[in-house]
Amino acid sequence: MIRLEKINKTYFGAQPLHVLKGIDLQVNEGEMVSIMGASGSGKSTMLNILGILDNYDSGNYYLNGKLVKDLSENEAADVRNRTIGFIFQSFNLIPFKTAMENVALPLYYQNVNRKKRNQIAMEYLERFGLKEWADHYPNELSGGQKQRVSMARALVTQPKVILADEPTGALDSKTSAEVMQILREVNQSGITMIIVTHERGIALRTNKIIHLKDGIIENIETNNPDCIDFDKEIK
Amino acid sequence: MDFWREIFMALGRNKLRTFLTGFAISWGIFILIVLLAAGNGLMNGVSEEFSDQSKNTYMIYRGETSKPYKGHGTNRSIWFNDKDIRFLETEVKEVDQVSPRIYQSGFANFGDKSGSIFVQGVRPVFKDINNTKMLKGRFISELDEKSSEKFIVIDDNLRKKLFDDEVSPLGQFVIVSGIAYKVIGICESEGRSDGGNGYVPFSTLKKITRKNWYWMLHFTVKGLETKEENEAFSEYLRTQLAHLHEFDPDDTSAVYIRSTQEEYLQTMKIFRTFELFIWIIGFAMLISGIVGVSNIMRITVKERTNEIGIRKALGAKSRSILASIVTESLIITTIFGYIGMWLGMVAAEVGGNVLSKVQEGKEISLNIIPSIDIRIVLMATALLIVCGVLAGFFPARNAVKIKPIEAMNYR
Repeated sequence: MIRLEKINKTYFGAQPLHVLKGIDLQVNEGEMVSIMGASGSGKSTMLNILGILDNYDSGNYYLNGKLVKDLSENEAADVRNRTIGFIFQSFNLIPFKTAMENVALPLYYQNVNRKKRNQIAMEYLERFGLKEWADHYPNELSGGQKQRVSMARALVTQPKVILADEPTGALDSKTSAEVMQILREVNQSGITMIIVTHERGIALRTNKIIHLKDGIIENIETNNPDCIDFDKEIK
Repeated sequence: MDFWREIFMALGRNKLRTFLTGFAISWGIFILIVLLAAGNGLMNGVSEEFSDQSKNTYMIYRGETSKPYKGHGTNRSIWFNDKDIRFLETEVKEVDQVSPRIYQSGFANFGDKSGSIFVQGVRPVFKDINNTKMLKGRFISELDEKSSEKFIVIDDNLRKKLFDDEVSPLGQFVIVSGIAYKVIGICESEGRSDGGNGYVPFSTLKKITRKNWYWMLHFTVKGLETKEENEAFSEYLRTQLAHLHEFDPDDTSAVYIRSTQEEYLQTMKIFRTFELFIWIIGFAMLISGIVGVSNIMRITVKERTNEIGIRKALGAKSRSILASIVTESLIITTIFGYIGMWLGMVAAEVGGNVLSKVQEGKEISLNIIPSIDIRIVLMATALLIVCGVLAGFFPARNAVKIKPIEAMNYR
């Protein structure tokens, strides 16, 4: 599903910063992978490149079998819209739109008509147990509810890949566990999942843990979440 | 239309933001219009105050030659005639309106009262040239002049001599040198003397006196804006008259040419300064309006950087984001700009009414009534709207260029 070949990325500022130094990575369809690393290790940059939110200097990035390279802004927006779903640490819901409108927004950019997209959005909200909250604004929702809205939004376009950037970073441990449980279920429906985190407890709920350090992959750890007793492991 | 629904939803949901942006624009335009109106009012007040000096007037008096010329001796009186009037009216392009004068002095009688009178035959334009102020009735009209009516306008001095205060002179007949004239107006007395003055249509007095020679030509000119131009014009007049009346062009006593150019130029200078002053104020106001509007638009867009990032991550194209932001600002600026313009004009109008009420019946030095030039108002409003939209456009374009992740983390 995702293949990175010798990806390099340098930020040219006052002092050039070589952030990614030849990353090679293969993520298969339906896998659930986490990326760990200290701040400055390049994990955010990698997520940006995977999400086509940023471009890379050299190497090749294949997404769903297609080379993603030198895309125009509009092409990138299209690929993002149709194949990738994003989940963010700070939820990034639009404050002046209701839960339903937030979920329906990606469909707006696919030119789906209003009635249809609201209907689809409601289905997803229902799936996440938020039907009664559809007309509420983000500031009327709890952290867990907000993250569930943003998960519904990520899934509404039926993407191939979900990219989650510290999805539990702003949540307490109980809600974190709930969110991770939902992400697992989503993954089990066949959607590839990549989670960036610095919490070991979160990473341990994925099948593959990629350790990033100073712009290179230090090691890849395989993991079976089913064998871990989380009550003991986390905090 | 989904696009419009999105825009109006965004405007409706961000009431405070919409209001603040709109208020900045309305306020800018409101202040601009009110100040322009006040400035215009001041300008009009000044113009009115100086109106008797706002025309460049020439007077040519008859004189006597002091040099022999082409077989004519000295001390020959030069009188003007119809040929001179025709010459001025048709051949001198600078001449605006001509009023020749003939006079007749004698006594005026009404009933058993009488008073000495200096009657002048003048044309309607004399009132403007001379800045004659009417107290009652009207001055001689074009029609009176054309049909040689036996109408007379008398000054207040003569009125006092001929009429008791309780008698209304209008419509009464006074006898001047055996001719009965109907009184059609009373004007303010000129000068210090208590001698009576009367004005009758030029054509009437010409017929009565059978004179074809006039002691004075009075006319206004256009387009002579400098001292040099005025001197050259006087010189030109003298040579032309010398040609018509066969006197030495260098003979300065044959005709006397006087003009109000000095006062006129002085007044014009004051006007120019005033105009400049008002333009500077208006311009400064416009600039501060633009700065205000631009700032609020910039802040508005900055505030939306987050939202822009989210929309981009969800697959929005830069162009669609830009289009909606620019359309939003266009809607806000236009609607609120229109409101501001409207309020400004109402305020100017109300201010004008209040001021004229206050000034009614009072002896005032300066008559300041605000007034607006609608074209300038529309232009200024349009300029503010364009600037507002541009001020929104550039930061929006920058925000759209930022990588979505950075935009989303923007605080």
